[in-house]
Amino acid sequence: MAETYDFLFKFLVIGSAGTGKSCLLHQFIENKFKQDSNHTIGVEFGSRVVNVGGKTVKLQIWDTAGQERFRSVTRSYYRGAAGALLVYDITSRETYNSLAAWLTDARTLASPNIVVILCGNKKDLDPEREVTFLEASRFAQENELMFLETSALTGENVEEAFLKCARTILNKIDSGELDPERMGSGIQYGDASLRQLRQPRSAQAVAPQPCGC
Amino acid sequence: MAAENSKQFWKRSAKLPGSIQPVYGAQHPPLDPRLTKNFIKERSKVNAVPLKNKKASSFHEFARNTSDAWDIGDDEEEDFSSPSFQTLNSKVALATAAQVLENHSKLRVKPERSQSTTSDVPASYKVIKSSSDAQLSRNSSDTCLRNPLHKQQSLPLRPIIPLVARISDQNASGAPPMTVREKTRLEKFRQLLSSHNTDLDELRKCSWPGVPREVRPVTWRLLSGYLPANTERRKLTLQRKREEYFGFIEQYYDSRNEEHHQDTYRQIHIDIPRTNPLIPLFQQPLVQEIFERILFIWAIRHPASGYVQGINDLVTPFFVVFLSEYVEEDVENFDVTNLSQDMLRSIEADSFWCMSKLLDGIQDNYTFAQPGIQKKVKALEELVSRIDEQVHNHFRRYEVEYLQFAFRWMNNLLMRELPLRCTIRLWDTYQSEPEGFSHFHLYVCAAFLIKWRKEILDEEDFQRTPSPREQRSHRKKVV
Repeated sequence: MAETYDFLFKFLVIGSAGTGKSCLLHQFIENKFKQDSNHTIGVEFGSRVVNVGGKTVKLQIWDTAGQERFRSVTRSYYRGAAGALLVYDITSRETYNSLAAWLTDARTLASPNIVVILCGNKKDLDPEREVTFLEASRFAQENELMFLETSALTGENVEEAFLKCARTILNKIDSGELDPERMGSGIQYGDASLRQLRQPRSAQAVAPQPCGC
Repeated sequence: MAAENSKQFWKRSAKLPGSIQPVYGAQHPPLDPRLTKNFIKERSKVNAVPLKNKKASSFHEFARNTSDAWDIGDDEEEDFSSPSFQTLNSKVALATAAQVLENHSKLRVKPERSQSTTSDVPASYKVIKSSSDAQLSRNSSDTCLRNPLHKQQSLPLRPIIPLVARISDQNASGAPPMTVREKTRLEKFRQLLSSHNTDLDELRKCSWPGVPREVRPVTWRLLSGYLPANTERRKLTLQRKREEYFGFIEQYYDSRNEEHHQDTYRQIHIDIPRTNPLIPLFQQPLVQEIFERILFIWAIRHPASGYVQGINDLVTPFFVVFLSEYVEEDVENFDVTNLSQDMLRSIEADSFWCMSKLLDGIQDNYTFAQPGIQKKVKALEELVSRIDEQVHNHFRRYEVEYLQFAFRWMNNLLMRELPLRCTIRLWDTYQSEPEGFSHFHLYVCAAFLIKWRKEILDEEDFQRTPSPREQRSHRKKVV
């Protein structure tokens, strides 16, 4: 049976091809680097239950294909995402340059309130770096994104990226900035009874299935 | 009821310890060494697997009798999935191999063909590296229990997993001897192929149930429309087409670093090492260069689609089949530097042209917004809603959209879901159908889905789907 959790968040992993999106996901789920990774076609899924600020949160992660041609299809997967990891490769300026386009997609297709964390991946390849930390953090600031440099190879900051994103969403729920009841918020309550306890008024607003995706 | 039967068949075979295998398109427990331990004890149940009947009286019966085709070489997928599985497999393989051999030497009374191999095998502690090895140890371990001709029943012994994927039955050494039926079939093919004007309709008819590997290269060239039916014109056509291809290379390949082609080339260049990453053959620089050239030339000659990820996979069956013309042993470990320049050029050009012919039929899969795929996924949904309402409703109930799992089935023609050897076999049929890669493929996808209906219906958590690979690699983890 399904494990219990307080919330379920739908997360996206987006960014250009070859930036290490699937490897980040794999590192987060399996705690290992995916050596013989194959490029993602369409979408792949992963999920993991984490503890954030005393709450159990199930992250339902949609790992999307990065190639431009898949954009029209992968866009259909954005709907109702609460958080996103926007990934570029610090050794490839090209992947950095396309961040704005990815961000626009996420904010228009998922939700304007989507919580996005920018991930400069392949941190371990510092000698081949083409994008400085400073430059990327400025971009993040301008676009109201959180920012971390990560390494799917060593695992550095991978867990942090997912958790930070989850924590921010939880904070926004607490502060009332995000309403889990709103359609397409990308947030669901873990089980019906808990939900009713918290929000006794609109029990029928969200499907009671904890695992719809 | 036939449906009932097939259900029971599945149940039965599911209990066979050897079938503790990742299941495509469905939830399945991972390969667990504890579960594989008992398999020898229960191996005698192998024979409970129904043998192939001469005549299948119904579709379900046919499906049941042929369902084992999905199972051969499941282990390849295994290897593809993740490094963690690889290590697990080798451990399991070592342990089980040791067990099998020990058990076997106890059972063995009189020496048989493969005895020598068995005794040679302090190799029981050697990791099985190639299909011929796997085949040998397979034969050696099960000859006493079952007829070695029924190779497809090797299902329960699958825990002996070769580290490297077996590409197909290309290996001569370990393959079981031909049956009379196979010989007659091969003879029929040879006759057709050598007649002055090959009867293509007849060739298609013969190829539909599978092409013998000896004649597969030439048959594929004919079926794809690359070679003319007239035998006299073939040699000249080949020569001309091969020259034409290398003319393209000469003319265009240098432009790969020019600005307008840079993106295309870069994408191909990063995808090639990721194509069949665990098969040594595809890690050889010479082979990767061939793939890059084929894909680049195709991409710039088809600007409406350009290179789309997934097309790289579509080269592999052709490459392997045309390579098999020159290679006796295992193709997957073959070092292509052993081939002459001429041979390599022929393989490259033929792969290019046959792939081009294939893509001509499905180009709208790869043009802007991928309308071909969208259409086919819709058609699949419509088809499944008619043939299996229960599965269809189950998806709806759990808000699983067809595009989420079937997109890849269409984009990569199920190649990520099936071992390469099965793809090659499937393409025998696709190429015998008028619109095999577009129209017929849809029905294969539907059949593939229905094949796992029980697992699908049992599944309520689709967050780790939609395919076996993710199920294995992205297994949930509770912190």
